[in-house]
Amino acid sequence: MAEKKKISYGHEFTKGLLKENPVLRLVLGTCPTLATSTSVVNGVGMGIAATIVLVCSNICISALRKVIPSKARIPAYIVIIASFVTMVQMLVKAFVPALDQSLGVFLPLIVVNCIILGRAEAFAGKNPVLASAVDGLGMGIGFTAALFCMGTVREILGAGTFLSGIQTMIGSFVDLGSFNGFDFTPILEKLHLAPMTLFILPAGGFFVFGVLMACVNKIAEGKGLKKADQLGCAGCPYAAACGKTEAACANETEKEAAAQ
Amino acid sequence: MKFYIALLIMGILTSNFVLSKFLGICPFLGVSKKLNTAVGMSAAVIFVMLLATAATFPLNKLLEKYDLGYLQTIVFILVIAALVQIVEIVMKKYIKPLYNALGIYLPLITTNCAVLGVVILNIDNIAEYASQGVTYGFGHAMVNSFAAGAGFMLAMVIFAGVRSKLETADVPKFMQGLPITLVAASIVSLSFLGFTGLVEGLGLLG
Amino acid sequence: MTKKDIGAILKTAISLFLICAVAAGLVALVNTVTAETIELNGIEEANKAKSAVLPAAESFEDVALADGSTGFVGKNAAGETVGYVFSSSANGYGGKVGIMTGFDTSGAVTGVQILDIEETPGLGMKAKESAFLDQFTGKTDELKVTKTGAPANDEIQALTSATITSRAMVKAVNAARLYFAEVTGKGE
Repeated sequence: MAEKKKISYGHEFTKGLLKENPVLRLVLGTCPTLATSTSVVNGVGMGIAATIVLVCSNICISALRKVIPSKARIPAYIVIIASFVTMVQMLVKAFVPALDQSLGVFLPLIVVNCIILGRAEAFAGKNPVLASAVDGLGMGIGFTAALFCMGTVREILGAGTFLSGIQTMIGSFVDLGSFNGFDFTPILEKLHLAPMTLFILPAGGFFVFGVLMACVNKIAEGKGLKKADQLGCAGCPYAAACGKTEAACANETEKEAAAQ
Repeated sequence: MKFYIALLIMGILTSNFVLSKFLGICPFLGVSKKLNTAVGMSAAVIFVMLLATAATFPLNKLLEKYDLGYLQTIVFILVIAALVQIVEIVMKKYIKPLYNALGIYLPLITTNCAVLGVVILNIDNIAEYASQGVTYGFGHAMVNSFAAGAGFMLAMVIFAGVRSKLETADVPKFMQGLPITLVAASIVSLSFLGFTGLVEGLGLLG
Repeated sequence: MTKKDIGAILKTAISLFLICAVAAGLVALVNTVTAETIELNGIEEANKAKSAVLPAAESFEDVALADGSTGFVGKNAAGETVGYVFSSSANGYGGKVGIMTGFDTSGAVTGVQILDIEETPGLGMKAKESAFLDQFTGKTDELKVTKTGAPANDEIQALTSATITSRAMVKAVNAARLYFAEVTGKGE
């Protein structure tokens, strides 16, 4: 098993950033990515919350991997993830209420974020604690980075601002003075332009995500990596819960590859 | 009655789960390649959403009674996971044809955020509508869940049609696959924007 | 079923039960630590909004309203009533718009704050900007929306391409005025 292999922590950490970026390459966690990337602060807030849950659940699941009976592992993982999500939810409500307001239902929905259950099943359930923690951190940062990119594009084009609302999020921890993000709207007004609201609307979310993924595909192609949707089961959002359809899924990918 | 119609219109058209709330995107992108799988998946989702709401809505009252509201997320996800398992076992044993049609989608539904989403939103709605002086009861929650599921189905079916056209389209190489699918989803979502304000315009809510 | 099977089932059940118990315990622990802060946050937020719409008041007293909701009577340092604050809501374009409105004792609006809004960013969301909100200050009548650009005393200039949001805001302020009339017996 994987445990006998030599583990390179550097590799476990960096793979989540680009090569196996959960959002842009494995296409996991699409719902929160689209829904919370209307602004940079929102997206990064979501990313950090999910990273905390991911690292904690990875550590916990990895530590318990020999105790959890393999038949009951999915419910056990779900309980562990759900309790970390609830804890993070309460901490956010208590200390960053503005983030709770803007993430709304997507904060408890971290429970069903495919990235977290996916990493539990694909990595933490089979690897030692430290490697799992590093894997979780890398994946979490990859997720946050993708949200940051989406948020930047959508906020600048859609609202004409950058980092707006940062004061309400971290103002109580870090002294930012009167800084509350950049506002480009006065400049735009002088040019008789207005921000393209479309980009903060759901339609803009899909569009930016599509274009960003195309860019990453282009980069990956240059490096000789496979395209996102050709990764087969690793790219299947259900790989974790699916077990039974795994074979069918692999079959289908093979068939498609053959057809091409 | 007006309120029920308003809930239906909101769930299916104006605040469509997939296209404006971003819930259930994974199956929307993953299972919408063919019309029959899209319909099968959506039917399973509607079924599980109704069942999950019927189980969790009363359960929430119990949690609240004992001041355990903070356990909501854990309890709900476990209830959904258990329900899906039970339904699968029962279906396999007693309703074989239905199992053959929906069975393979069932294990995927546990991690479908649309199901947990609708269940949590139903609970949030109680407080939300109470502040407007409207009671939001079990019947409303069920209608809301059905509308959410039906909206999911509508989006899936429309999008399956769009994707079948995409198959034969001449797409630049770097946009092939998921990128062009997402851009197509963006245009479908844009068309649903035309429904915004429908409920308010018809005067269905207060 | 052999003994071995039963043993395996028991082992699974016990380990799952233990995980659940430990998880529930930890969550309960975090809950006791954070519950108080969360409650304080809610109160603080409401107080901030109340003082913002009725700056003259030092403290607020609850007053029960006929429809079961609660209004607030603002008192100055000497304990005299200086005004009233009511929260109300109406349906906008993207859902409920919840606001808090302050009135002085004569019934003039002293300020409006938005508590809850899900309108279209860049259009209806502009209702949050002070250029729109300040229009309400000083109004003493039941209000209407105008699009002409020259609002009369009982009119509010609508936001560009967000008439439904503007109407919702006006409707909510008018609802707050009804509460004012109910509490003071004035203005009807």
